[in-house]
Amino acid sequence: MHVGRIARCVSLVSLALLGAAHAAPKKMTGLGSLGVVGGKSGGTYTLPLGDSPQSLFYYGVIDNNLGLISQQMFDGLVEFNLATYKIEPALAESWTISPDGKVYTFKLRGGVKWSDGQAFNADDVLFTYRNMIMNPEARAGDPGNFRLGGEAVTIAKVDSMTVRFTLPRPAPAFLLQQRYFIMPQHKLVKFGQESGAKPADINGAWPTNVAETEVVGTGPFKLANYTAGQKVALTRNPNYWKVDAAGTRLPYLDRLEFLIIRDPQAQVAQFLAGNLDQLNISGAQFPDLKQKEVAGAPFKVMRSTALFGSPPFVAYNFDAKNPALAKVFSDVRFRRAMQMAVNRERIIDSVYNGLASLPGHGVAPANKAFYVNTTRQLGEFDLAAAGRALDAMGLSRKNAAGIRLLPGGQPLEIDLTYGTDSAVYPPMATILQSDFAKVGVKVNLKGILSSRLLATGQSGDWEMILHAFGDQPDPELRRPIWQPGGSLYYWHRAPQPARDGDAANTAKMAAWEREIYDIFNKAAVEPSASARKALYTRWQLLFAQNLPVTPIAKPENIGAVSNKYGNYVYNLGVIPGYNPVPLIYQK
Amino acid sequence: MLTYALRRLLGMIPTLLLISVVCFAVIQLQPGSFLDQFREDPRVTPESLAAMTRQLGLDQPLWAQYLNWVRGIVTEGDFGYSFANGRPVGSLIWERLGWTVFLAMLTLLVSWVIAVPLGIYTAIHQHRKRATILNFLGYISLATPDFLVALLLIALVLNLGGTNVGGLFSPQFIDAPWSGARVLDLLAHLWIPVVAIGLEGVAGLMRQMRASLLDVLHQDYVRTAHAKGLAARRVLWGHAARNAVNPLISLAGLSLPGLISGTIIASIVLNLPTIGPFLYDALLNKDQFVAMTLLMFSALLLLLGNLLADLALAWADPRVRFD
Repeated sequence: MHVGRIARCVSLVSLALLGAAHAAPKKMTGLGSLGVVGGKSGGTYTLPLGDSPQSLFYYGVIDNNLGLISQQMFDGLVEFNLATYKIEPALAESWTISPDGKVYTFKLRGGVKWSDGQAFNADDVLFTYRNMIMNPEARAGDPGNFRLGGEAVTIAKVDSMTVRFTLPRPAPAFLLQQRYFIMPQHKLVKFGQESGAKPADINGAWPTNVAETEVVGTGPFKLANYTAGQKVALTRNPNYWKVDAAGTRLPYLDRLEFLIIRDPQAQVAQFLAGNLDQLNISGAQFPDLKQKEVAGAPFKVMRSTALFGSPPFVAYNFDAKNPALAKVFSDVRFRRAMQMAVNRERIIDSVYNGLASLPGHGVAPANKAFYVNTTRQLGEFDLAAAGRALDAMGLSRKNAAGIRLLPGGQPLEIDLTYGTDSAVYPPMATILQSDFAKVGVKVNLKGILSSRLLATGQSGDWEMILHAFGDQPDPELRRPIWQPGGSLYYWHRAPQPARDGDAANTAKMAAWEREIYDIFNKAAVEPSASARKALYTRWQLLFAQNLPVTPIAKPENIGAVSNKYGNYVYNLGVIPGYNPVPLIYQK
Repeated sequence: MLTYALRRLLGMIPTLLLISVVCFAVIQLQPGSFLDQFREDPRVTPESLAAMTRQLGLDQPLWAQYLNWVRGIVTEGDFGYSFANGRPVGSLIWERLGWTVFLAMLTLLVSWVIAVPLGIYTAIHQHRKRATILNFLGYISLATPDFLVALLLIALVLNLGGTNVGGLFSPQFIDAPWSGARVLDLLAHLWIPVVAIGLEGVAGLMRQMRASLLDVLHQDYVRTAHAKGLAARRVLWGHAARNAVNPLISLAGLSLPGLISGTIIASIVLNLPTIGPFLYDALLNKDQFVAMTLLMFSALLLLLGNLLADLALAWADPRVRFD
């Protein structure tokens, strides 16, 4: 123990010397397109937090509120460029990928210190990956990404500042995934399996009543105080490794505070009262706040077309319990016909107050790396054409009430499952209901809690559903959603494997589904970026033509920010590796 | 009296057990499980879900989950784990209990101080204009939900340019040490919850006081006292009001469980760090041991409140005897 400690001290000293020799802080430049300018130090910035964090240990609980705080206290090996969403160095200064795409070697940034002054090194990275990210017992770990084709990814330390991952097969999205927050080994060692702890013990680290000094990170801020149910206060991490274009150490702010406010209306009230400096708002709240801004209130309401965010879609259950409906739903002619009865413009205008645009097919239009323009395939809103298309597929007979009859003679009547506790789903559902009625398709609204939408979708007990999945920079990260047979591809559950982890049942797929299935498998291991782009282009076109789901709109992101602060960049929430807060300064 | 209290206390044990079985059953009848909220998260694989199910003991049969929980309480005073917070339920509740008790007591006190005199006033001035107006206002405040009053007060403060629109402190005072300025800041915030939550109680209590005083005022002994030439003030305060207060004692006992669940919506709207929203979350997320513990706590408070009210009645009313 003693010998170990002395050895550790010696190595720390030598590391510190080494670090001083080639300390290389990251310079934040080239963000002019986002309106980022040089700022000055000082000030407190106050943000809302939707509820108390459930723990202070990121990998111990799955909790968005903790995610928001953790994002300010921890960093990953790589991060997003705030403007282009390209992957850039973070705690890793550089990396190499072997020509066969299987070996990733990360050279760690020299001179990085934890917020308590200890040096950061490869041991921290190994400790975090082994005990948290790759640990199946860690609640918020991500072990699934470290088994490729049934074989494990291995991680090894090359030297004190170099880490190497060896993959069983190429995985081009692997780099993008390494935005996981790295945790300090020296503070968490007793929860690690190396010290004899059980794999699940890690979840118990840093409960909300832990001493503030225990929570140590490399991020721009460090924990100062947590007052249960009321506030989380962070202060500047003096050892942060980023500097601005002029070389001034970031973050600019002295303090970052999160007020715990559960009710969205109460958040707005606190923002208007000046107790919060920034707030993400919805399209419904936009007119009121914008009006106040125009009338001279001391804040700005900003719109941005960001990549992240969840575009809603409507899906039909190919395996619906009613066989006649299932047959109609799996017929692409039906889905194309009904798309013409989806009034996207009206939804964008009245549900989103105009603060949304046309959606992509699985890829956000802002995603320059992968999006292909499929706007034309979205078609035009045309009820007459929709009616003609339904007639053409043999649904021309109608009953006395004007409802089309299925081949068996029952009326074409569909239950639409949607979330009632949402600002957007209920009005969207009624618009769909009224337009569908005009083409002779009766829609019955079936409201449930939004939090139950996914579970209901996966249970198969629905006919038509309004739901949304988030966008990501690389389609590979959304594979379980869009690859037929994936665990979230719930509108057609027949191809899903009987047991998790088995291969999908390709025999149950339609030809176009089979093609999409192959595209995802190929793109997952294709090292060439241009070949991947071509594959995903083909997928988006197949999606647009065959409409496994019918995308409705891509909402814009709206934020309101006090005029006292500069360098505001919209921040959706917990996106590891996307954090503009260190650049914010008080004017 | 002591044996009576003991007997009542012992009687609570089977009652509480029965309540706990019912609560557990009702929580389990809710569709879904605590883990449902994670299924959409791309970080959560089916394997992680299976691991979590095992860690939380959700793979055990329901009766085993229940018995383990009860055994923990009886043998170790351990009320189980919060699934969400990964911490023992006891300490989580303890953290939030302080402000909850403080706010509940304060609003209770304020509503009593206002309601009892108003009730007496409206009773002895029955059918007069001022009393009618007071009664009318009472009806309105009874009919207005506390969260609506809270929202209206927030809107009012905002429109007047104020900044204390929720919570108990301004941001900079939340984690500051106690000082004169902090107390003033607390007072500036406190009036909104006290008015919003207290007002609802006022109307009910006021009408209760009025009704029971009217009852008493027509009793023979009051008439006798008047006839014997006792001063009206003596009759009212010394005899009538003292007797009329009895039903209020029972009411006070019954209001104890309101400590936990009485002000959930107002607490959410006003952003108060009390237990109510914590219970609400636990129920929504199926964080079952937190919900169970709070519901049991609530039931215990109800039983204790009843007992205390009965004991207080015995002390206040010479007609009530337990022996």
